[in-house]
Amino acid sequence: MTRTETLIDQLAADVRPVRPLRAPALRATLALAAIGLIAGLAVALLGDVDGLRQRYAGRETLLALEMVAMLATAMLAVVAAFFVSIPGGSRRWLAVPIPSFAVWLMLSGLGCYYNLIGDGGGEGHAGESADCLLFIAATSAVLAPLLIWRLAQARPIDPLPVALLGGLGVAATSAFVLQFFHPFAVTFVDLAVHLAAILIVVAAMGLINRRILAPA
Amino acid sequence: MRLGHGTADERTNGKWERLLAAAQHGDAVAYRTFLKEIIPFVRTIARRRCWSPDMVEDVVQDVLLTVHRVRHTYQPERPVEPWLAAIVVRRSIDATRKRGRIGGQEVYNEAAYETFADPDAKDPLDGDISRTLARMTKGLPRGQKEAIELVKIKEMSLAEASLASGQSIPSLKVNIHRAMKKLRHNLVEDPPE
Repeated sequence: MTRTETLIDQLAADVRPVRPLRAPALRATLALAAIGLIAGLAVALLGDVDGLRQRYAGRETLLALEMVAMLATAMLAVVAAFFVSIPGGSRRWLAVPIPSFAVWLMLSGLGCYYNLIGDGGGEGHAGESADCLLFIAATSAVLAPLLIWRLAQARPIDPLPVALLGGLGVAATSAFVLQFFHPFAVTFVDLAVHLAAILIVVAAMGLINRRILAPA
Repeated sequence: MRLGHGTADERTNGKWERLLAAAQHGDAVAYRTFLKEIIPFVRTIARRRCWSPDMVEDVVQDVLLTVHRVRHTYQPERPVEPWLAAIVVRRSIDATRKRGRIGGQEVYNEAAYETFADPDAKDPLDGDISRTLARMTKGLPRGQKEAIELVKIKEMSLAEASLASGQSIPSLKVNIHRAMKKLRHNLVEDPPE
């Protein structure tokens, strides 16, 4: 009997009933609902919605589009992470959040430009930009365990793209929530800090992908 | 992915799907049949990406272990073939990368895996040696210690050790190699009394 045949016998002897994972779309929806609930509660209890309206007074359409692009990036990244975590999931999912992410950056840049020509750039917030970085990192650290737990159930055979997409999902959600806490109009420096914070979260998830996702 | 004439689903008329779905319910006979029937399919894909026969067999065994660990991710009623092909491709890529890394940085020495020249000295029931080994392996990382214990002390095959530990076969090989290197170093620095 060859080693492969012996292995097959051992695996067959070890087989136990398992509950098949539900469809990735459904699992992603449930995870997003849980993340949305936590983020929604934080905004409802602690967020400054009036301040957000004032900062974007006269530019409500831009605000709405920016928020939609941010939310779309977060949601698409999470959905993509669930699809990629399953063997046979299309690699095209990796590209799905990119268009909305690009739109979000473009609209944020546009908002910064309006601020620059409107009030001279909103200087004096250099120190507070660091708070934004901490906010995105801390909020991501709160939201990530829930998502990681759900993603790890699939024991992804290639955990790196799953971790990167998951990281983008929680970082984009955190950036979305940050909008309700941001004490001043976003400048180019802030935008760069926000982007750096997102990259840090994504990179951190990528670096520890094997430790957190229990790959098979 | 097509292999020969028609897809696996067409060739097996949905048999693999039924077998794997039954295996998810704990049917050992269906599971054994499934694992045996997929071997040619797995081997064909592995051969396209691996250059040596022993590497192909390593990948086949690694794929079987992976299928065992992720069988819950198969969604009943969906075709097995793309799900399985993705696992084989992934494991083939992993094997190729690991082989490349090991070949580029480390020298494989079969004799170095021997703990002692005297085979009786490897008896885990021998009190003195067992204690000495326990002391020597104390400082090793968990994965390396586990690999040494299963393969070198309990004398399991790599496949058995992989099943017991959850580590892939290439990971076990790497861990054993590194652990042996560290143990040799420790022996020189701090020889047992």
